[in-house]
Amino acid sequence: MEVLPKIPKSWNLETKPHKFCPGCGHGLILKALGQVIDELGIQDRVVFGCDIGCSLLSWDFFNVDSVQTHHGRTTPVMVGIKRANPELIVVAYMGDGGGYAIGSQHLVNAATRDDKITVLLVNNTNYAMTGGQMAPTTMPGQKTETTPYGRDVLEAGYPMMGPEMVSAISQDGAYVARGSVARFRKLKEYIKKALENQIAGRGFSFVEALSTCPTNWRTNAEQTWAFLENEMTKQYPPGELKTPTGKEG
Amino acid sequence: MGEKPIKGEQKAFMTGNEAVAWAALAAGAEIMYGYPITPQNEIMQYWTRLAPKYDKKFLQTEDELSAGFTTVGGVLAGRRAFTATAGPGNVLMQEPMSMAEAMRIPTVVVVQQRGGPSTATVIYSQQEVTLTCFGGNGEGLRVVYSTSSHQELFDYTIKAFNTAWKYRFPTFVLADGYQAKMRESLVLYDPQEKGQKMVPTEAFVGKPGTPGEDRAPAHLRNTYNIEEELMDVLSKDIKEYEEMTPEIIEYEEFNTEDTDLLVIAHGIVFRSAAMAARELAEEGLKVGYFRPITLRPFPREELRKAAAKAKQLLVVESSYGQLLKIVKDNLYGMDVPIKTHLRPGVGITPEEVVADVKTILGEEE
Amino acid sequence: MKQEQSPSRVLEAYTGEYASGKSENAVNRAVELARQGRRVTLVDLDLVEPCYTLRPLKKILGEEGVSVLAWDTGELVGLGETGNILKPEVQFCLRHPGDVILDIGYGASGVQVLNLVEGAAEERDLKVYAVINIARPMTAAVTDIVEHVRSLKRVDGLINNSHLGEETDLGFVQEGARVVKEAAVVLGLPVVATSVMEQLAAAVGETDWYGHPVRRLHRYLPQAFW
Repeated sequence: MEVLPKIPKSWNLETKPHKFCPGCGHGLILKALGQVIDELGIQDRVVFGCDIGCSLLSWDFFNVDSVQTHHGRTTPVMVGIKRANPELIVVAYMGDGGGYAIGSQHLVNAATRDDKITVLLVNNTNYAMTGGQMAPTTMPGQKTETTPYGRDVLEAGYPMMGPEMVSAISQDGAYVARGSVARFRKLKEYIKKALENQIAGRGFSFVEALSTCPTNWRTNAEQTWAFLENEMTKQYPPGELKTPTGKEG
Repeated sequence: MGEKPIKGEQKAFMTGNEAVAWAALAAGAEIMYGYPITPQNEIMQYWTRLAPKYDKKFLQTEDELSAGFTTVGGVLAGRRAFTATAGPGNVLMQEPMSMAEAMRIPTVVVVQQRGGPSTATVIYSQQEVTLTCFGGNGEGLRVVYSTSSHQELFDYTIKAFNTAWKYRFPTFVLADGYQAKMRESLVLYDPQEKGQKMVPTEAFVGKPGTPGEDRAPAHLRNTYNIEEELMDVLSKDIKEYEEMTPEIIEYEEFNTEDTDLLVIAHGIVFRSAAMAARELAEEGLKVGYFRPITLRPFPREELRKAAAKAKQLLVVESSYGQLLKIVKDNLYGMDVPIKTHLRPGVGITPEEVVADVKTILGEEE
Repeated sequence: MKQEQSPSRVLEAYTGEYASGKSENAVNRAVELARQGRRVTLVDLDLVEPCYTLRPLKKILGEEGVSVLAWDTGELVGLGETGNILKPEVQFCLRHPGDVILDIGYGASGVQVLNLVEGAAEERDLKVYAVINIARPMTAAVTDIVEHVRSLKRVDGLINNSHLGEETDLGFVQEGARVVKEAAVVLGLPVVATSVMEQLAAAVGETDWYGHPVRRLHRYLPQAFW
């Protein structure tokens, strides 16, 4: 008996199979997001924004209104949409560069303002799409095209602890978590809670997803998984960092 | 550590981006600030590979705003500092470059043009001319060199540091994605060994001595209280800009005496235009070319002289008229007809230029 | 080019420094094998510099009988900024029957990119060749070449691809052969060939000044854009 995988209803089948590299975590994250959109029944209200980088490949991924923005500007565009039409459920999808480098000021301000948006950030420790340069989440000693001898923290600085920062500066109604594609069910649970937080109007929600990039890590399947599960989690511990307290929005 | 990167003259084969990195090394640049954006990533990727060997510094910033402002900082500290960018990054670069213009800070920026507007393509265009020449919220008191070969990328990157530090206006080397990635041979050299003195740098801040006691403090600003104050500062800068213009402008021309058609092009498109013009001239047609090398300041008098001897002009560029605008502006008052071959974001081959010229001249018979 | 015997299967990966000529050598090798009537798959594993390698040549190479594993330029949105994407078939390229030629782009991690190819680590018949052009400052001297090849870790042979583009003369190619040969001796590796652009190849002959087989190169890559 053939058991076919359940493809989320909110996925756009015309653009499948998708173009992400084999072994890339984006496919799993977008599957989790697709399932959550289905389960919450919000396909007609979601606006999906993507950044420059590998997230760009998701611009026609869903049967959901989608906007490709500029590098680091997905957050403000989604904030703009949400402010103008609060009925919409906006998801700002980006990578570590779009969120923690060029987009960091927008992330900080959206969190501090408590904009009722959901930011879903993919952390794969490098600028994959442009060929593997250093990212804010590149780990100490890690080789990239702009740290060819390994990231020296004294020269290039330290990795960005995004959820920790957002947790510290956001308001009581915010939801902040860090998941991993290695723990799919937990990741999906976090994404669901993040969107529920927005639907209830409680506050800003942020999920960082630890993801794989064997293409730029130059790792085979075993090495990829080991890097994600053993190395990345040492630097970036998964878990919920903040759950909302206080009254419903 | 600190050995000379290039000894004597070395024939080499490389991409344009690499030529820029090697030129910066040869010029004695000490620090590069940058943010990844295609198609100029190899400039910083090569710089970071070579940096430890030659005692150079690098910082990958959080974005181009920062790359520009940190470069301004590096220059204020008295170092040959530079950055490179393209497309949307060039748009962001305008804010720090406005500050450099206002405060006469000798920054060096290499721009590898890509398709525009917005993200468009990462490949190629000549659509950042207006942005690079006039992109800040000021009068465009900048120097912009438009290169058309790897040898020029090397030569003009070195020259950019000297022009910047001598005249104290932000200086740009304007190339494009094709030049950035094409492979070509060129000669690498140490400018000092060739008798080219590098203009010394000077710190704006951090000079020795206690401010107020041993020396005057540096009080640097870019803001003024009333209109007249601003006018005074700008008048001085404009006067200096105009005075230095004859020393800086560069151009190239061919067959401009009594021509039927003068082709005007810059950058890599000039290569195609030049090949076409020479080919047609050999066939006996009265076709010539005029190439501005400095887009800012523009070789206005020289173009007017050449245009006066031509029956008509043909402006060829990979943009929808950014060079054309500058040409028209500089030819104001002259009634020579101007034809155009405008292909925004797309390369132009010599064959296309030849076909165009023949059509135009054919129509006139 | 003479072949002592017809090998049952040719598996080669071309690596080396940025702009050293890996792609040109890989493409020419694939075409050479296809012209011998062999079944050839050419694989684009350039993951750092998108856009400027194999993709636009797909059609031209297809006409030569070479099957190319690479994305079509029009298939990926924003293939400029994006484009550093591994085509899934590339992962299993060694399973293609017939010859497989891999073009491995440059990168800080060298030939580690072979981790992305199923079975590459175990495949002892897969030969990795480092393409060297002494006109490139970082591989101009014997010591630099030795350091560079050692950093690549897995290399089975060197290819002298010394040239200066349009400015190449035979003296330069010969100097390249001499320098690469010296480096090869230090490394304990063979010099597999000297590649010469087709206009000059006839003047060199079947083997170069040091007995290395000569490969004629037709320039395919400049057609990759413009």
